[in-house]
Amino acid sequence: MNRNPADIGGEAAGPIDTVDHGMKFWEKQANALRNTLTGGKVVRLDELRRAAEELGDRYYRLGYFERTTEAMRNLLLEKGLFTRSELEGKINELRRRYDT
Amino acid sequence: MTPSAYTPAPGKRFKVGDRVRVKTAHPPGHRRTPAYVRGKKGEIERVCGRFPNPEELAYGFDGEPRRVLYRVRFRQRDVWPAYDSPSEDFIEVEIYEHWLEPS
Repeated sequence: MNRNPADIGGEAAGPIDTVDHGMKFWEKQANALRNTLTGGKVVRLDELRRAAEELGDRYYRLGYFERTTEAMRNLLLEKGLFTRSELEGKINELRRRYDT
Repeated sequence: MTPSAYTPAPGKRFKVGDRVRVKTAHPPGHRRTPAYVRGKKGEIERVCGRFPNPEELAYGFDGEPRRVLYRVRFRQRDVWPAYDSPSEDFIEVEIYEHWLEPS
């Protein structure tokens, strides 16, 4: 049976973390980018959810914003808004600029 | 204010009070019908309207033809085998028409 990782209703939940962890700066940026992309109809929320579900085991290992950001990256690659090499080129350029 | 997404639902298959059963299928894809109600019997509580099909929207298509969405009421003890309560408790889940069959 194909049960997607978001479909967990009725499973044993374990303890629930109720601590407010706040949002890191990059998480706010990622959230803003997601809202811009969905607001501008570049991607739909349904597509982002589907892309997150397709992360498979990574769905469980990633934090919330890591998961949504990786889903967003995969979706934009899928749609051809940029290529993998363009993305890697940009990441390398930023690494050099910030000396990391 | 965001306008309501409600749309009329002409040509709908079910009406309020109809007994329905959720399909037991587990197809791959972006499915929004929770696993815990598949195969369960319930009753149409309301007709929510017609909406673009999220199972298609999820893959970048336009979601047409629109699908009728219903709110379906299930008895908790029909949904959860171990549900232990003397009272008549319900759970309501919104489910698209193509997931429902007459019961």
